Amino acid sequence: MPEVMPGVSADAFVRAAPPSGGAAEDHPSVRALRSRIGDGLDRVHRDAIGVPVAVVAPDRLEEALRFLKEDPDQSYELLLDVMGADTGGGRPLQVWYQLWSLRHGRMMRVVAEPPWEELALPTATGMWESANWLEREVYDMYGVTFRGHPDLRRILMPENYAEGFPLRKDFPLRGRFSRAEQVRRSLSESLEDVYARQELDLAARIPGAGQGLEELPVGMSPEDVGEAAHGLEGEKMLINLGPQHPATHGVLRLVLELDGERILRCIPHLGYLHTGFEKTSEYREWNQVIPYTDRMDYLAPMIYNIGYALAVESLLGIDITPRCRVVRVILMELNRILGHLLWLGTTGIDLGAFTVFLYTFQEREKIYNLHEAYCGGRITTSVTRVGGMVADLPVGWLDAVAEFCGGLPETLDQVEDLLTRNAIWLARTEDVGTMGPSEAVSYGLTGPSLRASGVPYDVRKARPYLGYDEYDFDVPVGEHGDTYDRYLVRIEEIRQSLRIIEQALERGVPDGPMDVQDRRVILPPKSEAMGNIDSMISHFKLVMEGLQVPPGEVWYSVEASKGELGFGIISDGGNKPVRCRFRAPSFVNLSALPRMVQGELVADVIAVNASLDIVLGEIDR
Amino acid sequence: MPRQLHTLGEESGETGTVDTGVPRSWLTTRLDYLINWSRRNSLWPMPFGTACCAIEMMGAAASKYDIGRFGMERMSFSPRQADLMIVAGRVSYKLAPVLRKVWDQMPQPKWCVSMGACASSGGMFDNYTIVQGIDSVVPVDVYVPGCPPRPEGLIYGLLMVQEKIKGESVSDPAAREEAASATGRPNLPPEVIELVSQPFGNSTKQNRVSGLEATSAVDRPGDRVERLLEHRG
Repeated sequence: MPEVMPGVSADAFVRAAPPSGGAAEDHPSVRALRSRIGDGLDRVHRDAIGVPVAVVAPDRLEEALRFLKEDPDQSYELLLDVMGADTGGGRPLQVWYQLWSLRHGRMMRVVAEPPWEELALPTATGMWESANWLEREVYDMYGVTFRGHPDLRRILMPENYAEGFPLRKDFPLRGRFSRAEQVRRSLSESLEDVYARQELDLAARIPGAGQGLEELPVGMSPEDVGEAAHGLEGEKMLINLGPQHPATHGVLRLVLELDGERILRCIPHLGYLHTGFEKTSEYREWNQVIPYTDRMDYLAPMIYNIGYALAVESLLGIDITPRCRVVRVILMELNRILGHLLWLGTTGIDLGAFTVFLYTFQEREKIYNLHEAYCGGRITTSVTRVGGMVADLPVGWLDAVAEFCGGLPETLDQVEDLLTRNAIWLARTEDVGTMGPSEAVSYGLTGPSLRASGVPYDVRKARPYLGYDEYDFDVPVGEHGDTYDRYLVRIEEIRQSLRIIEQALERGVPDGPMDVQDRRVILPPKSEAMGNIDSMISHFKLVMEGLQVPPGEVWYSVEASKGELGFGIISDGGNKPVRCRFRAPSFVNLSALPRMVQGELVADVIAVNASLDIVLGEIDR
Repeated sequence: MPRQLHTLGEESGETGTVDTGVPRSWLTTRLDYLINWSRRNSLWPMPFGTACCAIEMMGAAASKYDIGRFGMERMSFSPRQADLMIVAGRVSYKLAPVLRKVWDQMPQPKWCVSMGACASSGGMFDNYTIVQGIDSVVPVDVYVPGCPPRPEGLIYGLLMVQEKIKGESVSDPAAREEAASATGRPNLPPEVIELVSQPFGNSTKQNRVSGLEATSAVDRPGDRVERLLEHRG
């Protein structure tokens, strides 16, 4: 009998209640929080999409979070995001806790503002496992100390990084040191020294580890050998996997503590692909951020493009055109297929099934051709603009999509013939890396990885965007939460994505304009800009000043191929975001890897890691 | 292939295999030519893939583009058995020592392809964490432009490596020289790193955030390639 999340039915998706228009104080959770902590609740407001935001005094934060999680009427079991936000101008640093209640279908944000003189908050790791890495990232980027955190180290920047905290406003975009000095510093230490020191340090600091590092007794007599051999049982060894390893799906480094072939502990090291997306986005105009979004999840780029555009549009408060909505749904689902196909191919390679890679890449090339026909790029598509799309669809493009959808199921069947009942595949995946629903929620898993553990949560169902509630599709939910279930769920998701595309094509993409007809947002066509003075002025203003987004904040999320993709955006009314946070689903999902591989074999790390479908571009950002 | 062989009878215009009448035929050629021929047609690439470009590199190896046609399908995931490093994607300062280590582990002769804008110049990531061109860490033979380059672009770059190998000589001691002391040192002198990593074009103007904070604008130096060529004399 599969384990089911208490209070959550495995076959019912909880739909978010429509946002009530009233004051934030009327929200049931806010009222309950007010009666619980009273003055500790500093102020409340609603953000751009109506989510209540509760600003809580730092010393009452732990109480507030614990109440919201554990009170049965609140039960915010899923901590989606912890993010810092420095809005400059001497205003206090904010730390956002984004919460979702699976049981009641409510979203809420708790904000703490620790004073600059004492940047410290209580940790939330005792309540949610997902807080572990998310808090480490806030520490890494802003220098906020989380009291009681079990392992507060830098996570993305090198551990000996000396230049400061990159996302603070006083940190220059290009770093404090000169470029030559940055190169010199990064190359100055022998890699083995750094790694050995880190591993030894970890082993020494984390309780229970490190016994394996004691020296073996030297000069023992022959009669001791038998006893010593007995003593070797439980002797531990540390090995390093990555960062340059073909099976880690990018530059991920895992330090494994082994007892023989069994894994006692797995310590991931990230940040080898840290690209400074969030910092760089603060220096780019709203539409200029879009090319950056491609390069985070380069396996399904348009999902990022569209998600970002939706988030900014929610700040602007504009509705996109019906045609744009349907086109975006088609593109999102195409890209979900694109991401899942890459996952399928590379997982096949990892587990020794190379053929699948050739099959799936053939199909991927067909989607790339569709991308190319639409926007000219294969991977880096940059297909949206705030308020619309880069261009209208080319003639015949929808027919090409229909043709692709007609051909994919056959390939998918072939792949399933190769894998689904394959004895080797089953042996490598069944009951490997199992995670139950309560734990999966605690680790903040989202997307197929969460659903494989039996928790019905999909942003498309819970908080429908782009009219997803008008489509008839199923969201597969697993029972066992093992690697095999994650495989089955993704295969089924590809089929369901095809269903959505086919429905969209069947109904027909509505005619009419692709972009909103708002000249403060979208450039007028060239003919108009050259022909009448109003259009010319708005063209000039958009080009010279850029899009102006009214002051406000939003945490907007969509269902990406890897999980819940969130955008935490703050605008001060200018032409650039003040804070642009990307809640990368793989980052949070990967934090469950150490737990999943505990007690498994070394070879299973590859299988489990592959089954989480990570992409380092968005993990390290 | 035989038409290019240099044989004993080259002066008299006879080229190709020499039929000696003995059962096992033999041929003569220039040592350089023979060695370069074998080197360039059996390159074992070491994919140092980090980001988007790595996906296009996989595309180049997959069904449609198939770099096996050029004798390169044997991707070597160990640097010890590789002679061509393809750096595909952005390299952060945290990854730079890893890149250098992998390069140092490869035995001579070895070549390096920098695939894509980020590896070649930092690309659109002119910020605190990305190395502004991997040539400040390891020497690069061929730069492939694009963001990311299409598989055709990568294949063209690989063919250029083959062209480059054609012109090399085993008797040239400087060609494959590697100073042991250089391990762990930047590949370029500091002042050159400063010059080539200066922002250029539009990015010099993008130093402000909604009027909150400003960093000083930077003078635009000369063209990156010019500076590099100047440095190489």
